[in-house]
Amino acid sequence: MVDSLLAIGEKAVKLAEKLGADQAEAYLAQSRSFEIEAENNAIKAASESRDVGIGIRTIIDKKIGFAYVTTLQRSDVEEAVEHSISLARASIPDPAFHSLPDSLSKYHNAMGLFDKQIHDLTAEATAELVIRVIDATKEVLDGQDYAIEAGVQSSSSVNAIINSLGIAKTEPRTSISLYSYPILKHDDDQTASYEYQISRRLDEIDPEWVGKSAGELTIGFLHPKIIEGGEMPVIFAPLGASAILGRGFADAVNAEEVQMGRSYIADAFGERIASENLEIVDDGLLPSGIGSRSFDAEGYPSHQTSVIEGGVLKSLLHNSYTANKDCVDNTGNASRPSYSGLPSISTTNFIVSPRNGDMNTFISELDKGVVCRNTGDRPNMTTGDLSAMIIEGYYVENGEIKHPLKNTLIGINMRDLLKRISHIGNDSRTTYSMVTPSIVIEHANITSG
Amino acid sequence: MEDLAQIAIEAALKTGARFADVRIENSATTIIELNDGVSKQSLSSRLKGAGIRAFIDGAWAFAHTTDLTKSGMRATGASVAKMAIATRKRVSEKFEIEGPSVQARSYYNVKKPFSKTTIEEKMAFVKAIDDQARDYDARVSSTRTIYGDLWTELYLANSLGTNVYTQNSIPRIISAPTAKEGTNRQRVLKSLGVRGGYEIMDSDEAQNIGTAAAELVIELLSSVSVKGGVYNVVMDPILNGVMIHEAFGHAVEADNWPAHATVLEDKVGTQVGPENLSIIDDPTLDGMRGSYEYDWEGTKAKKRLLVKEGILTDLLHSLETASRLNLEANGASRSQSFMYEPLPRMSNTFMEPGDWEVDELIQDTKSGILLCSFNYGYTQTAKGQFMFQASHGYLIENGEKGQMIRDVSLAGNILEVLAKVDAIGNDFMLDAGTCGKNGQAVPTMTGGPHARIREVPVGGM
Repeated sequence: MVDSLLAIGEKAVKLAEKLGADQAEAYLAQSRSFEIEAENNAIKAASESRDVGIGIRTIIDKKIGFAYVTTLQRSDVEEAVEHSISLARASIPDPAFHSLPDSLSKYHNAMGLFDKQIHDLTAEATAELVIRVIDATKEVLDGQDYAIEAGVQSSSSVNAIINSLGIAKTEPRTSISLYSYPILKHDDDQTASYEYQISRRLDEIDPEWVGKSAGELTIGFLHPKIIEGGEMPVIFAPLGASAILGRGFADAVNAEEVQMGRSYIADAFGERIASENLEIVDDGLLPSGIGSRSFDAEGYPSHQTSVIEGGVLKSLLHNSYTANKDCVDNTGNASRPSYSGLPSISTTNFIVSPRNGDMNTFISELDKGVVCRNTGDRPNMTTGDLSAMIIEGYYVENGEIKHPLKNTLIGINMRDLLKRISHIGNDSRTTYSMVTPSIVIEHANITSG
Repeated sequence: MEDLAQIAIEAALKTGARFADVRIENSATTIIELNDGVSKQSLSSRLKGAGIRAFIDGAWAFAHTTDLTKSGMRATGASVAKMAIATRKRVSEKFEIEGPSVQARSYYNVKKPFSKTTIEEKMAFVKAIDDQARDYDARVSSTRTIYGDLWTELYLANSLGTNVYTQNSIPRIISAPTAKEGTNRQRVLKSLGVRGGYEIMDSDEAQNIGTAAAELVIELLSSVSVKGGVYNVVMDPILNGVMIHEAFGHAVEADNWPAHATVLEDKVGTQVGPENLSIIDDPTLDGMRGSYEYDWEGTKAKKRLLVKEGILTDLLHSLETASRLNLEANGASRSQSFMYEPLPRMSNTFMEPGDWEVDELIQDTKSGILLCSFNYGYTQTAKGQFMFQASHGYLIENGEKGQMIRDVSLAGNILEVLAKVDAIGNDFMLDAGTCGKNGQAVPTMTGGPHARIREVPVGGM
């Protein structure tokens, strides 16, 4: 199939050129994934998804068109090429567009992206993982009134990128993720929490840990209270740090957002924007990394990019378009939602370098403050203002967790947050968007009520 | 399409499934995006494929395929049924899927079909809106304009004998300018999304959306961040809709009942809000983005009176939840596309207007904040916690609208917040939205009148 993906892509690029494209690019992807879902402590549904499609980008006189289709049938692909061409012709030229990437750069292989065990995983074996995670959660919640949701998703995919300048790349990847979401009732209260793992390797998945951790966390969130607000320190657990930095800061160093003047760190290149102990690297080649790939979504080689070093902003994240526009090196951060969209920019493995201590030591050293295990919020990317609900968190006094929180919000501007990072732990974990330890912010405005 | 669906259903039943259904979709999309007058995205797509479900004894299986041949449909139908049968031994609760057999052909006619409007005409319109926003004021530093249209044909059939053909047509225009004054930078997003053809773009609201967005972003340059604290809050119709959607609507999706995943589980038939509060979800409204004639399982769409005079009276059902709870399905089952399973979802959700004049409502509030429009919101129904963010608002001082404020977040608990609604305006408006659940996005609308909530925590810098 890999050969035929490349062959179908070649044909599409040739057809686009024949129809008048100066440059053309085909992105193809094929994937197979299993998903098993459990509700109220038992498996309920299984699904298998086989997805395939092609997206074609064409350029005529600096005008860009794009079309995709969810099949690889010849007539559908040809229709998509024609649509792409007519969209390019009707578009408004972009003087800043220079060229698609060429094939002259050196490539390093990202290691550990494909696990045959995941590729060969049966629906039956996938279901077994969910049973294990439910059993491990049940063990912790034994004797209480609970309902566990749980699920697993495994995926094996291959993509192919072909363009007019000689790029012809393909790479297979696998991934698996597993979660437990227990809901617990106690007296008049009801709460929920969750734990998950995501990996490219089956042997890294530990259903017993996921289940146990989810159960223990849930018990800890019963009977939440509000607190008296004010300025106080905030400890972000790795998931919370990942939400704040992986979404709230990663998008601010997206070169496209900076070029459009939509990022709160615009104009700060080379300046100290964060605490001296903060170091962030975007590493597209991290072995078995969730965001790793040998080449980005335009076929350009993956890189390791130092984003923040000693608190200083060292580099933005670029794709070919933004790099050409700024006359800097491409960092290989083009990303796209499979075949169904144009390349934008996103992180690969966005890694906060670990320092000392972990969440528990930070709690023990805290006189008074809050812990944010997680939040669903993101800042206003233009102003940097962040108002985040502590969706899971605790109030800490005299080095001890006093109680979980409800209706509590953290308010801080991202520029202040970055500068007020006083501690960075070594308890790093991999999340969907980052690899990060716990971090401590000296103070932020806490509202609760 | 009918024979392909029947082949898949027969293959699933023959393999041993008790229930099977098939959705065959053919959709076309166009997206045109300009940034600073230059094409950023000119996209067209075609989605063609089928989603097939099989069910037995409480176990579901789902697969989708783009192989729309007789042999492809037969193979997928059989393999889905096998997956359901393999899952059956692990389920804990057995039940059957019951429902009516529905036959319908529902055509959606529009004045100007998207396919009959040239790409050049759409491009010229987007360019005009982009220029409009930039020309409004020199402080508008960057413009972004996005037009999108989606035409869908959906055929669905199930083993109860249902076969339904529907069409849908939804356009959208968004203007999202950024303004700059010194180091102060602000951005807004204004959108118009309803149901109809390209003729919607001829409306005054669509034709002037660039100016409206630019006007607001310039006004925002003089806004301040609000100080965190507990406030009396007056919500505008848009934000009220978001509150109803996040703090209540998700919690009455009936799939939460068998999963025990909502804090409203024991509240059906009980008082959840004041006596003057009524909440409705209505997919039958004419020309609204969240409207449809039949849901994604073929059930006829129906108006749902979720809260009547403060009492929780109805839920949002799929065939499964109605079967399990022994109630009647009410047409709330929706999927993003053939690639996803249908789930109970909202459509057009709103609070019924009350009797307060809006001016009087603000006057009566004396000290508090008026919150307008929204950036986003989310909820965790099992825990009862929700939050949403207004894009802007105004302080209310001495009963008058004062200083403009921005990005105001509000957090709360589902069981507590409705009881805090103490005054409801007599105005009404619905706004376009897109609702996300389990990774699926569907078009919705939310709204209502202005309304006041007492003593809620508002985040500040």
